[in-house]
Amino acid sequence: MKHRILAFLMAIYLACNVIAAPASAGQSSCPQFYTGGVAPDLINEQLSPKTRELCNEVYAVLHSGLTRTPLYAAEHMTRENLQRAKGLPRTNSFRPDLRLPADERAELHDYARSGYDRGHQYCAGDAYTASGKDGSFLLSNMVPQDPDNNRILWEGIESATRTEAKRRGELYVITGPLFQGDQLKSLHGRVMIPTGLFKAIYDPARGEAAAYIAANAPGMDYRVISIAALEEMTGINLFPALSSQVKNRSMRLPVPRPYRQSHGGGAE
Amino acid sequence: MEKLEPFADEETVIEIGKLTIENRLDRIAMYGSLDLTKDKEGLQMARELHPLLANVVKLLSKLEANGDLPEKVQLIKPGVVKNPFA
Repeated sequence: MKHRILAFLMAIYLACNVIAAPASAGQSSCPQFYTGGVAPDLINEQLSPKTRELCNEVYAVLHSGLTRTPLYAAEHMTRENLQRAKGLPRTNSFRPDLRLPADERAELHDYARSGYDRGHQYCAGDAYTASGKDGSFLLSNMVPQDPDNNRILWEGIESATRTEAKRRGELYVITGPLFQGDQLKSLHGRVMIPTGLFKAIYDPARGEAAAYIAANAPGMDYRVISIAALEEMTGINLFPALSSQVKNRSMRLPVPRPYRQSHGGGAE
Repeated sequence: MEKLEPFADEETVIEIGKLTIENRLDRIAMYGSLDLTKDKEGLQMARELHPLLANVVKLLSKLEANGDLPEKVQLIKPGVVKNPFA
């Protein structure tokens, strides 16, 4: 009886507990977004404080209360879903993620008058339902991103990744910020500005993977690197389910072509 | 379509074709690509874009007439913090 009461109280506690639970390594409440159902593992222990997994309809985020940004956003991209992504709402709202404690989350005013874009990590253009797209506008999915980078090169990388998913059938994609160097720029000392961005891509059918990385700066410079090299940079084991052989060899990824090939003249 | 009230909030974002329009307190950000085609779809999109731009012109002209329009908006400079992960 005592146990039953305890279980009942636990259930009430969990039901009322709207604040996202602190993350623990590898475990996930939404395994469908991760390769082999296994969430990334934080290797660099300094990444761990104030991290919380946020499960959304079409993607998951590991949010850091230290940077007030995601450390990564994970999704399972399929040809079928991308083909469904037509006629979604054209009006949306950026907004703070109220599942996070107030002292860990970014607010709209953090980004105001900063000159930085609210750069989606899970791309709104990947969403395939109205509510899924709506959920991509939470600030828990954003990093301060150089506007030129966000709107041109990174848009091209996002678009190229979707084209690749349509061609290959399915991909697991993990996108996130790079925080390199001893010092970082920040908005109001609250939201940290990443020095770069990454998009890690795994093709489960062919068993091959690679990642795009780019500086958070204007211009078209980017690199394609192996997952192993990216994990070294981020301090995160992004795909714990993959062998080191897959991680060490990088597959070919298409050249990003923003607003040309993928957008021009109905060629998409 | 919902209305975008220029410079009133940091929330609203609308898409016209592949053009994204984001409302910010200090700017309206427009990016992407848009063909206003000489057809019914082109007219529909032009009708969405036109009042939005007209509102921007109206609002900025009013500020200018009142002497409240700066030459250039001032950005808040980012601070520097220690990298918590390094």
